[in-house]
Amino acid sequence: MAAACRALTLLLALACAPEAAAQCYAVDAAHGSVTFLVDQAGAPFKGAFRRFGGTLCLQGDAVTRIDVWLEPASTDTGLPELDAALKGGEFFAADQYPRVSFKSASIDMQRDREVARGVLEIKGTRREAAIPFRLQGGAAKPVVSGSFDLNRLDYGIGTGEWSNTKWLGGEVTVDFRAALSPE
Amino acid sequence: MPRFRNSSERYGIIAQALHWLIAALVLAQVALGLYAAKLPLGLARLEWLSRHKALGVTVLALVLVRLAWRLLDRPPALPDAMPAVERRAALATHRLLYALLVLAPLAGWLLASASGLSASWFGLFRVPDLIAKNPSLVAPLKLAHKIFVALLVLAVVLHVAAALRHAVVRRDGVLHRMLPWQPPAGR
Repeated sequence: MAAACRALTLLLALACAPEAAAQCYAVDAAHGSVTFLVDQAGAPFKGAFRRFGGTLCLQGDAVTRIDVWLEPASTDTGLPELDAALKGGEFFAADQYPRVSFKSASIDMQRDREVARGVLEIKGTRREAAIPFRLQGGAAKPVVSGSFDLNRLDYGIGTGEWSNTKWLGGEVTVDFRAALSPE
Repeated sequence: MPRFRNSSERYGIIAQALHWLIAALVLAQVALGLYAAKLPLGLARLEWLSRHKALGVTVLALVLVRLAWRLLDRPPALPDAMPAVERRAALATHRLLYALLVLAPLAGWLLASASGLSASWFGLFRVPDLIAKNPSLVAPLKLAHKIFVALLVLAVVLHVAAALRHAVVRRDGVLHRMLPWQPPAGR
């Protein structure tokens, strides 16, 4: 069904060119944020990734492709000691795995939001993920935003003693928001 | 017959219970803080510092209850025989103790809030943040917390020394006003 839709979209795109040609946008990290929230000892702890980017393509109003990344070496919790630990081998192993990435395989519309399904790769572990997002601001100043949860242990984030989730929660909420600039 | 309220000669059960409970918790708290601060970054430090934070807000709450109780139930008067200079020293030390018993945990709480490492009361409920996360305040608040704790330890040493002096040198019954048992006969 999805394949048929894509084929149809392609045919329509060809028929209606050039208006419906794909327009790709670059994620503008200077006007955006990617933050994470994880429970520490019963209270939420927040941090951010400062370096991120990628591409998002639209065909008309529909998002057709998402290819984004972030650098865990840019982890910023405001506490240098924790930042160093998070970049280290027990967490992101940022030297060995410099990028976290997400590439969409399909994008579905669900009520008022869209869901990108694809592969999320963190610390060399690739897993299927469904990431809900919104695109707002219109074609002139599009802004993409969303929030999703993941289990850090699925990706080996926190090995050894840190695989205990009593004091450092397993569930991590990731919030993202960024302006898009035409490529 | 135990008395809940203070008499003119002795502290009542409430004041005594608060005094000794806070004394025990402060002792545990200082030991816990010193121990946790020396641990390398790891699960053990997270665990012990979390307990330290929960215990710290408990001490602060108990100190506030104690101050409120002290306003409602005035402490017994000092012996008439005490020289004026000693009375002033006692008053000053007690004021310093109360001030530091509020300031030391308060600075710790502010430090936790500024660090973004909020406290939970032994996993039962969230302790609210006093200020928003602010990395630039972490170092000064950590220093303030350490200074207040060092001064508190100093004030406690003074307090204990004075209490022992009352008991051993003066034998004026001042220490026994805060003890649950009666002074030995022929004090």
